[in-house]
Amino acid sequence: MRKFYAKVIAVLVILSLLGTLIAGCGSKNVSDARKKVLKVSMGLGEAEWKVMKEDIFPPFEQKYGVKIEPLQIEAGDLIKKLDAMHKANAMDIDIITQDNMQLAPLVAKGLVEDLSQYRDMIPKEVIPSLVPVGEFDGKLYFMPYRPNVEIAFYNEDKFNEYGLKLPTNWDELLQVAKTFKEKEGIGRVIIKENLGPDSTVQMFDLIRSAGGDPTVLNDEGSIKAFTLLKELQPYLSPDSKKADWNTPVEYLAKDSVYLVENWPYTANVLVEQYGKKNILAYHGWAGPVKESHVLGGEVIGIPTGAPNKEMAIKFMEYLMSKEVQEKLVTKLGWPSMRSDAYGKVADWQKPYFEAINEALKHAEPRPNLVYWADVDKAINGALREIIFEGKDIKTTLDKYHNMIEEAKKAAESK
Amino acid sequence: MRKIDISEKISNTAYIPIAIIAAILMIIPVYILFITSFAVPSDILKPHPDFFITRFTLDHWKDVFLSGNIWPPFKKSFVVATMTTIIAIIIAAPAAYVIARMPSKIKYAVVLSLFFTRMFPDVGIALPIAVEFIKLNLMDTYLGLVMAHLIVNLPFAAWILVGTFETIPKDLEEAALVDGTSKLTALMRIIMPIALPGIAVTAIFVWLNSWNEFTYALYLTISDRTLPLQTYYYVQRGGIFDSATYAAILTIPVMLVTFFLQKYMKSGYLAGAVKG
Repeated sequence: MRKFYAKVIAVLVILSLLGTLIAGCGSKNVSDARKKVLKVSMGLGEAEWKVMKEDIFPPFEQKYGVKIEPLQIEAGDLIKKLDAMHKANAMDIDIITQDNMQLAPLVAKGLVEDLSQYRDMIPKEVIPSLVPVGEFDGKLYFMPYRPNVEIAFYNEDKFNEYGLKLPTNWDELLQVAKTFKEKEGIGRVIIKENLGPDSTVQMFDLIRSAGGDPTVLNDEGSIKAFTLLKELQPYLSPDSKKADWNTPVEYLAKDSVYLVENWPYTANVLVEQYGKKNILAYHGWAGPVKESHVLGGEVIGIPTGAPNKEMAIKFMEYLMSKEVQEKLVTKLGWPSMRSDAYGKVADWQKPYFEAINEALKHAEPRPNLVYWADVDKAINGALREIIFEGKDIKTTLDKYHNMIEEAKKAAESK
Repeated sequence: MRKIDISEKISNTAYIPIAIIAAILMIIPVYILFITSFAVPSDILKPHPDFFITRFTLDHWKDVFLSGNIWPPFKKSFVVATMTTIIAIIIAAPAAYVIARMPSKIKYAVVLSLFFTRMFPDVGIALPIAVEFIKLNLMDTYLGLVMAHLIVNLPFAAWILVGTFETIPKDLEEAALVDGTSKLTALMRIIMPIALPGIAVTAIFVWLNSWNEFTYALYLTISDRTLPLQTYYYVQRGGIFDSATYAAILTIPVMLVTFFLQKYMKSGYLAGAVKG
């Protein structure tokens, strides 16, 4: 019996020693070794990682004798991880590429370095509207990297079957939605109304297309946008309430939705992975004043306290280079941040690439507001009350306009 | 002759259909998951996929296994779940035994205090805990995840085991003590074997919780993901078939662990011991 207890105690001792050993791995030697590694965080799909690992990283690794460690971290999760590492004073990521829809929390929490002193690194060939995306209060926190824009995906078979033309304005959009509903008894057009960041993007497009300002929210353009949405509502797909950036892929793949605006990666999954060649895309529709799309995409940032900042700066410059941008166009069909980077996209990508480039002509960045979360809440609060609860448009928008104004004052007084 | 009341009659006749319905409700999602992972895309990518598919393909499974992305997260999840379970049982079983033998008033206070850490949602306490763990260089380590999972599981494990030890008559160990065994020997030789069904239930519970854990894994991993994080990645990126395959792989060890441990959950242990 004594032997048995001795074994139990031995196991416990070994476990605690093992724990101490692992916990104690923080010596100066490790820190020196860390300088030979560049930890790069990106949120990419499998095919995109393949290009990064085979075509983008190796030339940089060879030139600077560094090993790039790729980290797959989704945009929302990146904020949590950086926050935890920052609070622990143990940052372990050197460079990030981040969705430009999720920049404000990084700046507000002090998780990224001020890159203003490196402003000259931005190539002069950059598309000008991409630079302000990375600026907050006059400081440059993020460098341009990859522009992106939502395009309209449609089911070619169904449009042909019902003799429909692609809608280019709000009236035609309403007509198309009505026709699908009449023919099939259920709505087949999606306007994202998930009361999250995705519906905010959609409302931005509609409000700006009508000449309004989504951060004002009770102007004439905003009223027109909500009026259109209320009129469209009976003819929309029930999936509109669940639609985010991810779900339209499934809806289009299963032919349960025939028209939806979504991010271009949709084509990669539908065409490359699922072989759905009947899903095509175009740039989308205009409103009564203009065509407008939120300028999405990714920017480059350096986390506060990045252990290998010097190398990260070099890698940042490399990502913005013509060499890399041309590869990204050619290999992934990503539109370039530079006006001089021309690549040759694969045949299957051409129609989608054209749609993206056309939509980019009408792309507008979102304003970088420290009270962005309040704007987001206000837009979705108005959406919920007007569309789902049937409340009066003007009264509701006035209420949420006041909410944004209060948040603005609070932010300015800090 | 014994009178059978109406409720007993209903339960005697209705339990089979109710059990069948409950089983179907539980099995259908798993069935859909597995057929999606074996389906030819065109059979699933339509408005109303057939419930029974006739064409099967191993392509999605091949893709997942050949990608080289499955084994590292699988290994990490398996090692962490198993280590968490072993350590949780080693710590919780003796603690629960002591608590079970305490006077009632103290016992309930101790059991209640066990749940103090469980009174806050994981998403609320995960960040401060992760910060402390990162300070200790526990980011991306097995130990960090095991310790985080123990925070979640130890209170439940102890609580389940307190209930188990309470059902074991005190007379049994007293009889052993009278026969001259030490208290520790009585615990290991008499009490623990009788408590085996409860320990098995606790082990399954802890293992499953750790295997599926997401929040702490999200904070405490950057390079080497666990399997739930890996599955989440594919779900986020819109790959129906890869997601289904990863999720199917995620469920297989759950089935195996449950299958192998459920044999210890037979009720005969206690009866045999009392008679003996």
